Amino acid sequence: MATITPFSASPVAVDVGVVPPARAWYTDVWVRMLRRKPLGTLGAVIVLAMLLAAVLAGVVTPYGFSETSLRERFIAMSAEHWLGTDQLGRDLLTRILYGARISLYVGFGAIGIGSLLATALGILSAYWGGRADLFLQRLVDAWMAFPPLLILMSIMSLLGPSVLNITLVLGVAAGIRESRIVRSVALSIKEHTYIEGTRALGSGHARITLVHILPNVMPTIIVTATTGLSTVILTEASLSFLGLGVPPPYPTWGGMLSLAGLDHMYRAPWLAIWPATALSLAVFGFNMLGDALRDLLDPRLKGR
Amino acid sequence: MKRYILRRLALAVPTLVLVSLIVFSIMRFMPGDVVLRMVEGQAYAPTIEALRHELGLDRPAYRQYLDWIGGIVLRGDFGTSYWTRQPIFDEFVQRFPVTLELAALTILVSVVLGLLVGVVSAVRQDTVSDYVGRVLAILALSVPYFGLAVLVVVLPSIYFKWTPVWTYVPFTTDPLENLKILIVPATVFGVTRAGPIMRITRSALLDVLRQDYIRTAWSKGLPEQAIVLRHALKNALIPVVSLVGLQIPLYIGGSVIIEAIFRLPGVGLFFFEALTRLDYPVVQSVNLIFAAMVVGLNLAIDLTYAFLDPRIRYH
Repeated sequence: MATITPFSASPVAVDVGVVPPARAWYTDVWVRMLRRKPLGTLGAVIVLAMLLAAVLAGVVTPYGFSETSLRERFIAMSAEHWLGTDQLGRDLLTRILYGARISLYVGFGAIGIGSLLATALGILSAYWGGRADLFLQRLVDAWMAFPPLLILMSIMSLLGPSVLNITLVLGVAAGIRESRIVRSVALSIKEHTYIEGTRALGSGHARITLVHILPNVMPTIIVTATTGLSTVILTEASLSFLGLGVPPPYPTWGGMLSLAGLDHMYRAPWLAIWPATALSLAVFGFNMLGDALRDLLDPRLKGR
Repeated sequence: MKRYILRRLALAVPTLVLVSLIVFSIMRFMPGDVVLRMVEGQAYAPTIEALRHELGLDRPAYRQYLDWIGGIVLRGDFGTSYWTRQPIFDEFVQRFPVTLELAALTILVSVVLGLLVGVVSAVRQDTVSDYVGRVLAILALSVPYFGLAVLVVVLPSIYFKWTPVWTYVPFTTDPLENLKILIVPATVFGVTRAGPIMRITRSALLDVLRQDYIRTAWSKGLPEQAIVLRHALKNALIPVVSLVGLQIPLYIGGSVIIEAIFRLPGVGLFFFEALTRLDYPVVQSVNLIFAAMVVGLNLAIDLTYAFLDPRIRYH
C-alpha cells in the first residue's frame, strides 16, 4: 500500500480545512464586504476614487484651481476644458478635483476631532456616572435642541470663514452628537462581569477605560465615524454654499454651487450640474460604505 | 398621563435654561467679538465702545444674561433688530406662518412618498419594485437638497423658459396661488428627506409583518389591503413618527437655505439676512426660539406614541 499522508485520510484534517483562516476583524470586514455587499463595495470604490482625485489633483490637470482667464469665460464642455469653465474662466474639472481635496480634508479632519471627542466624552460620562454624567448629558440634550445648521451658521459667522475654523467647528459639533452613541455602548460594557473582574484584580481607572472598555467601543466609533462623514461633508457644503464655510478662492463643491453665484448659472448651467453631481456621488459613496460597515461590524447584526 | 406631562414640562425648564446659556455663551465668549464684527462689517456705530455701550454689552456678563432672559420671561421681549430697529418677536411671529407652511408641506411630501415607497417595498420584498424603491431611497439620501433646489431654479428657466414664482403671496390673500408657490420648494426639500422615511417604514413594516397576529389575520382570510394598511402599518408607524420628530431640527435648518434660494419671506430668510447684516441680537434670539420649539416638539412627539400604541402608558 502507498503511504497515507496524515492530511488526506483523517476526517479531522478535513474539518480543519473547512475553518476559514483566522483574520483580524479589520481585514475580515473588507473581505466580507467584497463578497456580500456590492453597494458597499461600490461606495468604497467611489471613496477611493475621491481620495485619488484629491491626491492627484495637482498632477492630472494642466490648470491651477484659481487660474483665471478672462478670454475663456463660460466655455461649455470642450477638448481643453472637459467640464467647461466658470465666470472667471477657471477650469471646472480642475476645481472639482481640488474640491475633493477640501471635502476630504474637512470631512476627515472634523470626523477625526469628533471621534476623539466623542470617545473621550462618551466613555468618561458613562464610566463616571452619577452627577457628572447627569450634568454632561443635560448639556448634550440642550445642544441637540438647536437646529444644527442655524447654530453652526451663527458660530461660523462669528469666527469668520476659514478651512481650519470649519473643520474645528464641525468636529466639535459631531463629537458632542456622537458622544451619545458612544456613551450608550460604554454604559452596557461597563456592567459586564469581566469589568468587575479586572477591577477585583486591582486595575485602575485608566487601565479599565483604555484597555477594557475602549477596544469594545471601537467598532461603534468606526461606524458612527463613517456614517458621520457624509453628514459632515454635506454640512460643510451647505455652509460653503451660504458663504460661511470655506472662503474663496479655495474650490469647494458647496462654494461652487453657491447662492451668490446663482446668476451665473442661468448662463452656464454646468456650473450647477457638476458640483451637485460630485457632491451627490461623494455622499452616496460614504453612505453606502457606512451602511455596509455598520452591517458588518455591528455585533448584534453579525451573521445576518 | 397628566402627571407625566407636568413632569416632562418641569424637566424642560432646566434644558431651556441650558439652551439659553449655550446661545448666550456662544455669542459672548467665542473668539470673534460680536461688536467688533458688527462695527467692522456694517459700520453700525462710529466706535466699538459706542456700540458696546448701546447694546449694553459693557456690563458684566451675568447682568447681560439676566437682562436678556428676564426680558423674555417677564415681558416677552426678545430684543430689537439692530438693522430694522423692530422688535424681533413681532418680526418672528409675522414671518413664522411661511416657515411653518413650508415645513408642513415638506413633511407631508416626504411622509407620503416615504410611506408609499416603503410599504410597497416591504410588501413586495425582494422583487423588482422593492429594489427600485430601495435604490430611489438611496439616491434621495445622497442628493443635497440645496443642489437639487439650485438645479430646479436654474434648469427649467434655461430649457423650458419657466421659472418658479418669486413673489410670495400669503395664504390668506390667495390660497391657490400661495400653494403654487410653496409646492416646488416643499417638493424639492421633501423628496430629499423621503429616503430615510422610506427605509425605516420598510424595515419596521417587515418586522411587524412577521408577527403572530398578522399570521392570524391572514388565516382569518382578511384581504391583503386590510392586513397591511389596518393591522400592520399602524404598528409600524412609531419609528416613522420618531424619525420625523428627530428630523425637525433639520427641517428648520434646511428652511434657511430653501427660503434663501426661493426668496420665501419666512423666518429662515429673516435669520439668513440678519446673519449677512451681522445683526447679532436677531441671530441670538432666533436660535433660542427655535431651540425652545424643538424641546416642546420632542415632548409632543413622545405623547403621540401613546395614541399610536395603546400599550404605551406614561406614568
